[in-house]
Amino acid sequence: MIDMLEFWRQSLPQLLTGYRLSLLVTGASLFLGIPLGLLLALSLQTRSTWLKLPSLSVVEIGRGASILVLLQFVYFGMPSVGLTFSSFASVTIAFTWCTAAYTSEIIRAGLESVPQGQREAGEALGMTRLDILRIVILPQGLPVSVPALLGFSILMLQASSLAFVVALPELMSKAQLIGSNTFRYMPLFTLTAILYAAVCIPATIVVGFLERRLSRHF
Amino acid sequence: MPEDDALMHILPSQTSSGSQRVMVEVAGLCKDFGAHRVLDNIHLTVDPGEVIAIIGPSGSGKSTLLRCINLLERPSAGAIRVGDVEIDAFRKITRRELLAFRRPIGMVFQSFNLFPHLSVLRNVSIAQERVLKRSREEADAVSRQLLERVGLGSKADQYPARCSGGQQQRIAIARALALEPELMLFDEPTSALDPELGLEVLNVMQELATAGMTMIVVTHEMHFAESVSNRVIIMADGKIIEEGPSVQVMRSPHSERAKQFLGAVLNR
Repeated sequence: MIDMLEFWRQSLPQLLTGYRLSLLVTGASLFLGIPLGLLLALSLQTRSTWLKLPSLSVVEIGRGASILVLLQFVYFGMPSVGLTFSSFASVTIAFTWCTAAYTSEIIRAGLESVPQGQREAGEALGMTRLDILRIVILPQGLPVSVPALLGFSILMLQASSLAFVVALPELMSKAQLIGSNTFRYMPLFTLTAILYAAVCIPATIVVGFLERRLSRHF
Repeated sequence: MPEDDALMHILPSQTSSGSQRVMVEVAGLCKDFGAHRVLDNIHLTVDPGEVIAIIGPSGSGKSTLLRCINLLERPSAGAIRVGDVEIDAFRKITRRELLAFRRPIGMVFQSFNLFPHLSVLRNVSIAQERVLKRSREEADAVSRQLLERVGLGSKADQYPARCSGGQQQRIAIARALALEPELMLFDEPTSALDPELGLEVLNVMQELATAGMTMIVVTHEMHFAESVSNRVIIMADGKIIEEGPSVQVMRSPHSERAKQFLGAVLNR
């Protein structure tokens, strides 16, 4: 037992540098991906075909292809057409794509949960479409999406462990590295799991809190 | 003071040019949902200051007619003129035309449709700021006066969910009036309310009618139709089957269908 704690103490600094990178790459993907998801959700609602079709392809490829495929496509595939990305950039691009694709559906569901009468009231008041979106629809639709978006963010943090396949030295890669040197996989992955859970479980509690708080006025 | 000015405009000014002209003109209006014809060749004119009640059985097209008048539903055929703006079902309507067409029209819905995430005051002020480009102070001042007028001055800082149905509907009326409409459309404004709360709303509407507002009211309130409106229109199966001065239509309708409908609603 003491032996294990000592092993944890030795591995922890290395794991934490990896974890920082995991959080960074996840954060960057969410920061870029969620606004993109909103744009995709909005362009899927328009009647203009040449806005809709490209958006639909981005969403369907992002959701249809496995994130591991996207990741390797960007890192190993793109260089053959002359685009070489660092492992951090590759992961961010692939994860942003995935985030945009999935969150566009989450956000669309939120926007569609706003009753049709709200839009009609805005129209009857003579508000422009942009005003109706900005003042009436988004403030009601986005809060509905927030819990699902946070849930998705937690999944993305966990999925960031896939970045080890492109040699990004994040938490999972670090754990693998230590493991291959010490062969003490059992205590090692226990600690790794604890580290992921230490962020994910409190985040889940925040989701529950937000769900209650955001439904205050309705 | 600007806010007094704003309130004055709520009453259609009888002095403005063209006030004697017919305010609403609906000609040959048809609306199809798929193969189903909901409105069939509707003709209707409304004079300034007139209060019109549209009654009739469910599914007769009353609400659809009202919603066509401010283009919440696009007509399949026919033309509609409100004030100076005319639209034709066969011509593509630009976004700018749509906004201009709706500008003089206020609408009150059966389900109120207040914005639940905004305070009562913001509900009434927001469109004034965005559509009439009033400053926030100016808009809020107008809003407070209108809320006072519908008897809800004390509710300004509440959220709609904290108000009763009758209060919400009166807030919705204030919200529409804040844009100084020349024509008010009411789509079954009391149908979602119990009789007592409905009365609060009817009182506000009666006051509005007395003040000279042009109103088209789709309603099941037979007493309102007979005593407040100048003219009653009875619809059935997408057509106007009876039209005339309120008392006459309500007391001695000509057509069999109208007699049957009125018999059913008045003798209950």
